[in-house]
Amino acid sequence: MAAVDPRAAEYARLLVERCLGVQAGWQVLIRSQPAARPVIEELMRLIANRGAYPLLRMNFSLWPVDEVWAAEAPEELVGELSPIDVYASDHMDARVTMEAPDNTRGVFALTPERRALAKRGVAPFLRRTMAHEIPWVSCQFPTNALAQEAGMALEEFEDFFYTACLRDWDAESEAMKRLLERFDAANEVRIVGADTDLTVSIRGREGEIDDGRVNMPGGEFFYSPVEDSAEGTIYFDVPTELDGDAVDGIRLTLRGGRIEQATAEQGEDVLLAALEMDEGARFVGELGIGCNEGITRPARSILFDEKMGGTIHMAIGASYPHVGGKNKSTLHWDLVKDLRREGRIELDGEVVQENGTWLI
Amino acid sequence: MDPRLEAYARLLVDCISPKPGWQVIVRSQPPGRPLVEEVSRELARRGARALVRLAFDGVGGIFVREAPLEVLGTLSDIERHEIETMDSYMAMLAPENTRAGSDVPAERLGLRQQALRTPHEPFLRDEKPWVGCYCATEAVAQDAGMTVHAFEDFLYGAVLIDWEALRQTMERIAERFDRAETVRIVGDGTDLTFSLAGRQGKIDALGANMPGGEVFYSPVEDSAEGVISYSEYPACYLGHEVPGVRLRFEQGRIVDASATGDEAFLVGTLDSDEGARRLGEFGIGCNPGIRRHMKNTLFDEKIEGTVHFAVGTGFPQLGGTNRSGIHWDMVKELRKGGRIEIDGEVVQESGTWRL
Repeated sequence: MAAVDPRAAEYARLLVERCLGVQAGWQVLIRSQPAARPVIEELMRLIANRGAYPLLRMNFSLWPVDEVWAAEAPEELVGELSPIDVYASDHMDARVTMEAPDNTRGVFALTPERRALAKRGVAPFLRRTMAHEIPWVSCQFPTNALAQEAGMALEEFEDFFYTACLRDWDAESEAMKRLLERFDAANEVRIVGADTDLTVSIRGREGEIDDGRVNMPGGEFFYSPVEDSAEGTIYFDVPTELDGDAVDGIRLTLRGGRIEQATAEQGEDVLLAALEMDEGARFVGELGIGCNEGITRPARSILFDEKMGGTIHMAIGASYPHVGGKNKSTLHWDLVKDLRREGRIELDGEVVQENGTWLI
Repeated sequence: MDPRLEAYARLLVDCISPKPGWQVIVRSQPPGRPLVEEVSRELARRGARALVRLAFDGVGGIFVREAPLEVLGTLSDIERHEIETMDSYMAMLAPENTRAGSDVPAERLGLRQQALRTPHEPFLRDEKPWVGCYCATEAVAQDAGMTVHAFEDFLYGAVLIDWEALRQTMERIAERFDRAETVRIVGDGTDLTFSLAGRQGKIDALGANMPGGEVFYSPVEDSAEGVISYSEYPACYLGHEVPGVRLRFEQGRIVDASATGDEAFLVGTLDSDEGARRLGEFGIGCNPGIRRHMKNTLFDEKIEGTVHFAVGTGFPQLGGTNRSGIHWDMVKELRKGGRIEIDGEVVQESGTWRL
């Protein structure tokens, strides 16, 4: 057997020690797919060594959804999580979600109706982690499928991946705290760039830093902005996708916080359908600032793209209650705006970042 | 897609006959993907839940190697709840290497098996259905001395058979053994007698094993006397392959055990607890689709013209009272001059029934 990449072992250690802080006796759910074997085995070893229980939930689809089963099972079962999985969700002490797809388009194509049902079924599983009741981390393993999506060869992608993840997270944390303080003290954020001039209020809202805990890679700080405050137009130049459908070149015009106009250069039908999902889908749930300087190019993976240094992202749909957000939606779709070539961020009229470089 | 795969998946689901809404745990390994997906689809069609749990190892994975002993010996709350509340499980072995886990200390393996046994008891008592089977992987084919394509032909030949006809044949055999007091097995290096007095047999047709095709008993625990030599085939257990096992019994207990290789594993396993030196099972292979030994107990114990004895834990639902952390089936070839006698009457000779 080929030797395991030493970076994979370091990565596993980071997840167990920093992201989760696994303690003896904990029940730690590992949600993953077979291609992640090197890191899964290392995670299990480290968790077992700490006297905790690694509970592997591995399937070809990402647990608790099984796409092959969900395509044909009775609708009432698909729309409701099984009691066994509800129990696991209610009693786990921590969880790792590590995507390791063989194909980023999924295992089995579900109809939109079935996909929506399956999503509803999974809600009880997500509840505790969304509310930050337990430590959790969402991350990936560098597979060929993810490399292909990012437009890279596997080795090149592995370098990209580990450069983004294996950082001095305490130093990153300090740097982001300094920026966060400035934003916390501000009322209005203005984003200016190509085809973009948007203001949004964060008055009374406090931001949160992800310094490599709930996401790996981390490297952002984010707000749930005041729901009715967004005004102006923004052009998202980093390609994105929703449930496997590519969407590119999204332009949104917002008034009173609501999206009034929406176009896309590719996948406009997907965008428009998403905005119709519910009323909350037309409001901004998150404004995030990417700070990970290890990520210098998009990878068509939101986990990485939203952390890219010199970018901001806005999520349309659900906001985060723990940072004061009130918008409710089944949608939470992060869209990324690159400011590195032509763009700036202003706080209450003061330019704090220009062309991706901080001035504060 | 190979239409035999779909038929195989249907049969496997038939073995547990799920009711709508059942929570069925599907345990397998990554190379089992084609069969796992077919089984998930079939469970969906029958209105049951497929809860797929893949692992890299069948037994003795990383957790068993690495966990502190006190953790290893206990089940987590989530795992216990899952085993206790599942309605059924399907164990579909799909190893990448059939020797995986063979280097795990027996003590560690034993602790894990012990922890798992109690919540699995309803399955051992036949109160809840389960099925164990193999997927046609390269490793399983390799052990059988075949290419994977040849193994698929073999596998489907053993499972896609007329189960109703075989059930009737086995019922006739069981009916005769149910009336037996003393059974004697004679063969190469072998002359062993034991009692089935008061014990009822069970036939496996679309039951807990796929392929099925055996009639089996838990013999009276203190009755075995004599010698059995497994001279034809190695005894395979937990990734070990022990050639030339010879066991001598007195009053049901193994008083002398030897092997021509890996004897330490044999003796170590027999010494793992008190029940490990007594018989838990006597089984009669009846599957006409399985003709040759291939170092895979699930298949080998069903070969028509063989018998097998398991040392270790017996079947409580068949009156068996022996308890042990082990259950090691060893297969004895009778097709070359062996015979089975019931109360002095020869009922099978060289693998052919004379009932």
